[in-house]
Amino acid sequence: MHAHYVVIGGGLSGLAAAIRLARYNDNVLLLEKHSRVGGLNSYYYRNNRLFETGLHAITNYADKAAKQAPLNKLLRQLKISRDEIGFHQQILSEINFPDRSLIFSNDFNILLEEISEKFSPESDNFRRLVHDLDRTDPFESHPYRSARAILEDYLDDPDLIDMLLCPILYYGSSWENDIDFKQFVIMFRSLYQEGLFRPAGTIKNLLDLLVDKLNHFGGTIKLGTGVRNIIATGEKIIGVTLENGEKILCKHLISTIGLDETRSLLGTRKEVPDDRRLSFVESIFQIDKRIRDRLPQDRTCIFYSKTRPFTFEQPSTIVGYDSGVISLPFNFRDLNPDDDFIEIRTTQLANYRKWLSISRDTGQYDAMKCDHTGESCRQIEPIIGSFADGITYSDCFTPLTVERFTGKHAGAIYGSPHKISDGIIGYDNLVIAGTDQGFLGIIGSMLSGVAMVNKHILSKL
Amino acid sequence: MTRDDIKDLILEIIEDIDDEADFDDLDPDKPLRDQLDLDSMDFLDIVMELRKRHQLQIPEEDYPHLATLNSCTAYLEPLLKEA
Repeated sequence: MHAHYVVIGGGLSGLAAAIRLARYNDNVLLLEKHSRVGGLNSYYYRNNRLFETGLHAITNYADKAAKQAPLNKLLRQLKISRDEIGFHQQILSEINFPDRSLIFSNDFNILLEEISEKFSPESDNFRRLVHDLDRTDPFESHPYRSARAILEDYLDDPDLIDMLLCPILYYGSSWENDIDFKQFVIMFRSLYQEGLFRPAGTIKNLLDLLVDKLNHFGGTIKLGTGVRNIIATGEKIIGVTLENGEKILCKHLISTIGLDETRSLLGTRKEVPDDRRLSFVESIFQIDKRIRDRLPQDRTCIFYSKTRPFTFEQPSTIVGYDSGVISLPFNFRDLNPDDDFIEIRTTQLANYRKWLSISRDTGQYDAMKCDHTGESCRQIEPIIGSFADGITYSDCFTPLTVERFTGKHAGAIYGSPHKISDGIIGYDNLVIAGTDQGFLGIIGSMLSGVAMVNKHILSKL
Repeated sequence: MTRDDIKDLILEIIEDIDDEADFDDLDPDKPLRDQLDLDSMDFLDIVMELRKRHQLQIPEEDYPHLATLNSCTAYLEPLLKEA
């Protein structure tokens, strides 16, 4: 079989890349290993209900008038109208530390006012930081710089630095306790200056929309179709061999599965243990909606640290509870819930090796998952109020779950700490797009798919 | 195609990219980018649409010719003479 363009990976960046290619070309083939698209942001059914994986909130909210905002650029590039998505903005989100908290929303002035009020000696410093961040081009090629070190040049209060970093690290860092400054700038904009939203419906509606777009432009998706290896001669990619042995020849290959994961398929991956990769456990609690009155009414996400200083590193225990994210997806604006249940979600750092070592014993692994959801609930109840008695169903995704369903090595959702900003890894007709190209979040990874196809393929036609 | 046809074609393509585009006060000698708030990604789409609709190959180094409505028309006129 032959296809001009093959995209590996049906996550959001792969879908965006394939739509972009198919809009102007024939013969675009998207290969997805799993039986469903979405990658890290997908869904599953339990008890006849749909549960989302991954999605807490989408960053990069922008009003319609902001034509140059990443969200609106992306929609234009994919020929999707805003009405097809539907927007529910966050109410408020909170950074919750011992004895200190900050609130932010989709109006950046709220964060500015919070900092003036609660960190008044830092107010001018923070404005100076924002002024300089606004003039920074995060897409300029630059080696790793510590965002923490740069923040320390502007701000004196270590708590404020930690509090600003906490949501940014949780929503996109593949480094311990820090993040590359370029990525910090992207995340600062997308999280604090733009803000959070949810699409109407569930992630399934968004994925169905993307699949429909791709089909409309004439692209093809093959689900349940894993790639065994990439065939290359010298610096040229010839095609791919599928897990079922079939060969597909192609002119261009776009890989969105990650840098190391792509190198594995090329047979050029260095077999070094991925100990430095950060992985997480995500828990879902489905709760009787009568409990809602006890929970925060206006908080969409809560980024917490129980310790000062805040640490963001691989825990020595199976899960680290000192910090994390609490997502309250019922607290977005203009939702119309006709449902008897609400959901609470938590994300906490995990130790991949520890999960791996107990996974040989299925009974012990399942018991550990159950222990974890119980512990996660106990850890967050002091922050949001008690809800254990209202839980009707709970589940958790360990780094092994993520690895199994998404192919991300070590379940590291933010990928490799090495980012390939130009998408090129030494082959003439192979482009890397997605998280390991350096864009983050749902909008970021989709823009990565678009930008890499534009730069390396469409503009060369 | 006449110059007027080409102008209409460009405006039609831009409207297709951004249905909110407002051409009322468009100065044909000033950059489209500033007046319509377009960026390089949108310009690529103009090029791609010309390729799709009229099989035109516009090399990357010629993109600056597409800056204003008048420069676009002047550049495309010989290429679309037979269209």
